[in-house]
Amino acid sequence: MSLAKVFSVSARVRPYGSTGMLVRYASAGQEGKVSKVYPPTSPGYKYVNAEDPDMSMREMTNRAATTLFWTELARGFAVTLAHIFKEPATINYPFEKGPLSPRFRGEHALRRYPSGEERCIACKLCEAICPAQAITIEAEERRDGSRRTTRYDIDMTKCIYCGFCQEACPVDAIVEGPNFEFSTETHEELLYNKEKLLSNGDKWESEIASNIRADHLYR
Amino acid sequence: MSNSIIKILALDKVATVLSMIRQNGGVFGSLYKLYRQEELKDGKLVGEDSFGNKYYENPRYFYSRNRWVEYSDKFNMNYDASQVPAEWYGWLHYKTDLLPHQDPGRPKYKWMAEHTENLSGTTGQYVPYSTTRPKVEAWMPKPKTSV
Repeated sequence: MSLAKVFSVSARVRPYGSTGMLVRYASAGQEGKVSKVYPPTSPGYKYVNAEDPDMSMREMTNRAATTLFWTELARGFAVTLAHIFKEPATINYPFEKGPLSPRFRGEHALRRYPSGEERCIACKLCEAICPAQAITIEAEERRDGSRRTTRYDIDMTKCIYCGFCQEACPVDAIVEGPNFEFSTETHEELLYNKEKLLSNGDKWESEIASNIRADHLYR
Repeated sequence: MSNSIIKILALDKVATVLSMIRQNGGVFGSLYKLYRQEELKDGKLVGEDSFGNKYYENPRYFYSRNRWVEYSDKFNMNYDASQVPAEWYGWLHYKTDLLPHQDPGRPKYKWMAEHTENLSGTTGQYVPYSTTRPKVEAWMPKPKTSV
């Protein structure tokens, strides 16, 4: 056996079992009948289970040489070295970000009409449908006679981000925006009130409107 | 022929590394970027937002590594993922290929607020408060007047 074979890195030059398949031929039995062989030698059939090692002198010497020279170790180091120079499969998060859908359901926001008037009319459909009962709404008549909320609280720690609230909303007021980077240090910061939700809407309107436009054909 | 030898010896990769170092402002500039961003990349500057964050693209990297943001130097090491404003958010998250200034559908209303980063843990953090008057008010007994 050549040294190139013993120290080979490539799997193409295997030290032993060059085909990787054990081939047994069907031989005629003593009484003239064909004995059944396993594995069968039909074309297209590949035997994938563990095979008995070849016990010929040549193959046994090859196996002893691989063990003696630790060639698996050398090949393992070569694989490690190759991976150092490979492009990583991970992303460098705060700088690179993963792909997101326009339907992504993140931090809630209350939207406004282009005039600046708030959309929410306090119909309380979102409060009714919320399976986690995270929304609390109180409504009153405003000075101009329109019905508006005085309290619109969402407990973001109760919310399960199912998106039922934005589906229930008849005026597209409550939406789950694209933002998912709103983690806080304390629990109380996640008890959003109406002002916080409206300011979220003011901050994210550019992206919220783009998402709704991107998805409008499917609604 | 000579080209293929360069390929076999991976010398074209060495040339890429050298051009990366040149793009990132020499040896010391590259070391600073490595310290700050843990990665050295070369790419085309496609835009800059109002905070000074720079957005780059290089299709040589695979999807989800081919667009990235370099946070403004004024943030120093206090960069945060939430510093990307809403206008650039969709492009950076591969929702659209249109840059914000090329996208005619992006609304610009005068009531739209300026983006803020996640202020949790700072003095600017959100503190919840009730937006209604309490329904139950505590009884304050009148102090006894001794006349």
